[in-house]
Amino acid sequence: MSYCVNCGVELDASAKDCPLCNTPVLNPKEYGGYAAMAARLSQLSGKGTREAESPFPKDKGQVETVNRKDLGILLSMVVLATGATCGVLNAFVFQGVLWSLTVIGACVVLWVIMIPAVIYKGQPVYVSLMYDGVAVGIYLYMLTYLTGSKDWVWGLGIPITLLVTVIAELMTLCVRKLPRSFLTVSLYLFTALGLLCMGLEMLIDRYLGHEIALSWSAVVLTVCVILDIALITMLSRRHLREEVRRRLHF
Amino acid sequence: MAKKENREKTQRREWYKLDLSAIVYPTLQRRDFSSVYRLSVLLKEEIKPEVLQQALDMTLPRFPTYKAAIRKGLFWRYLEPNDRPGPFVQEDVRNPCQPMYFKANNRYLIRVYYFRNRISLEAHHSLGDGTGGMCVLLTMTATYLRLLGVSGIQNEGFVLDIDSEPDEEELEDAYMRYANAKVCPPRLEEKTFRVRGTAEPFYTLNIIDGIMSVSEVMAVAKNYHATITEYLNAVLLYALLLKQQEDKRIQPRPVKIAMPVNLRRFFPSITLRNFITMIYPGVDPRLGEYSFEEIVEQVHNYMRYHLNEKLLRGDITTNAATQRNPFIRVVPLFVKDYVVKLFYTKVQDRNSSAGLTNMGALKVPQGMKPYIERFDIYMGQPFSRRTNCAIVSFGDILTVNFASSIIEADVERYFFRKLVRDGIHVKIESNR
Repeated sequence: MSYCVNCGVELDASAKDCPLCNTPVLNPKEYGGYAAMAARLSQLSGKGTREAESPFPKDKGQVETVNRKDLGILLSMVVLATGATCGVLNAFVFQGVLWSLTVIGACVVLWVIMIPAVIYKGQPVYVSLMYDGVAVGIYLYMLTYLTGSKDWVWGLGIPITLLVTVIAELMTLCVRKLPRSFLTVSLYLFTALGLLCMGLEMLIDRYLGHEIALSWSAVVLTVCVILDIALITMLSRRHLREEVRRRLHF
Repeated sequence: MAKKENREKTQRREWYKLDLSAIVYPTLQRRDFSSVYRLSVLLKEEIKPEVLQQALDMTLPRFPTYKAAIRKGLFWRYLEPNDRPGPFVQEDVRNPCQPMYFKANNRYLIRVYYFRNRISLEAHHSLGDGTGGMCVLLTMTATYLRLLGVSGIQNEGFVLDIDSEPDEEELEDAYMRYANAKVCPPRLEEKTFRVRGTAEPFYTLNIIDGIMSVSEVMAVAKNYHATITEYLNAVLLYALLLKQQEDKRIQPRPVKIAMPVNLRRFFPSITLRNFITMIYPGVDPRLGEYSFEEIVEQVHNYMRYHLNEKLLRGDITTNAATQRNPFIRVVPLFVKDYVVKLFYTKVQDRNSSAGLTNMGALKVPQGMKPYIERFDIYMGQPFSRRTNCAIVSFGDILTVNFASSIIEADVERYFFRKLVRDGIHVKIESNR
């Protein structure tokens, strides 16, 4: 039976320190006298040599996860059935144009987007975004069988998909790794919007064979830069930051 | 046979409305928080898990509102009988009262654990309050003991007859029966002192149990001319006041405790669902310094004034008024969820500095007494960073169980040190 020298409460035989004040439980007899105990005291960091069993279990538990397997199977089957039936319909009833490719491609994109929500929740968000980009790219490529020409895919479709995917990845990285608040997320959003518009105009110019120059996107970019500067100022001045948070809290 | 058919008929009720309190708890659900409480009974011999599972399987059908799943409607949530396999008894864990997701665990909202000689029941508060949970736990324990060959356990008090059919009154929302005052007294709400601690990581619940003698505590309480509940309430207020002083707050705030009152004491009902209301004993240090004797007196007077059938009826009428309002009823659930959560976070949660519940002296059938050592109850994880305290006594053993999700144990330390200084022998057990 031991008592905490600070709190005066009796402690469980297994306690290595007092749960109330963290004072180590030391019995001079176990250490062969006060001098030896003092020497051990400096080495101790809450680790005693008490052997008795704790009244509480050792292992920690985890929350049961929600089983979404059934929902995943249901949605996958619906998507698969839609794609397959449209393919059959195209092959035997409404023949001529390969219209079913639009539906089948859309089903594939939908399924890939669905993966992190219902099929495999452990997938890192960056990988999910990359898969989404790849799926959209494949979808666009599939559409070329319908349109005949492949120029627009290589010239415009794939580069825009790549641009949007890269910006989405960077935005996610910023939101997750950098400080996150209402103001900082707005800052990332406006920066992303400006870059997206600029990239879009440059890609369109390149595709149309025009000289690569900024025109309409320069206006968007200017507005975004002004907003960004305002946001950075707010973020750097504590009073301003608090004022904005106070007025805009929801 | 006829009995069994009857029971199936009662059980086959399609669904149950959530009671007045139960409406609030699911809205507070977060990834790292559920309103889960825990009741444990310590027997004198090691638990046999397979027998316990058998006892659970035999007991649970007697409690249709506990063998239930929670579902969403367009305007309200509701309970639905759950016939999925389970719940299954499992070995206890170091960090009890973990969040309970509505769609996990085969949609059951209870968990049963065993560890050495301890049986623990964890239940979501939307199913029922501590009294209801204690009925499930003790009926299951009685069945368990009977399966082990113990005879002479009568069905009385918390132990119900598992072969009888559930009484309709056990399943009722008793609030609605008694929420009939002619006026809705306004609620007094003010911001109180809040303990600011360092949050523990997810999956941690710090427990500190203080075990003491009922007669010792009673003698000390008597010296202060108070009951055990009043005295322990006062000690917790004293600990919180001390914590506020130590924190050196520029602007002191009132210190209040949220204390659930079992309404069955005032309004006859045998409901196994929620039937509690909150009272908030407290002191305001802005009015001057309180000595411990003054705190006890304040709590004593507060309890005497508030704990009567009239004021409590007014309180539950005020609570019921919002649910009865036709305009509120037609608002879609997601809007209600948002508003209720906002109200709870901004007003209700700030209205108290800590929680304290006292289940009082538990009575078990005479035949069961020799097999039970003591009880532990935990109010579960606090919604905000603070500490919750639950008290229960059995025989001459009184246990005070603190549960918190912060690293600091200052409030607990001040609390137990005060008890020790008052001459009470306290034994501490902790999972820290």
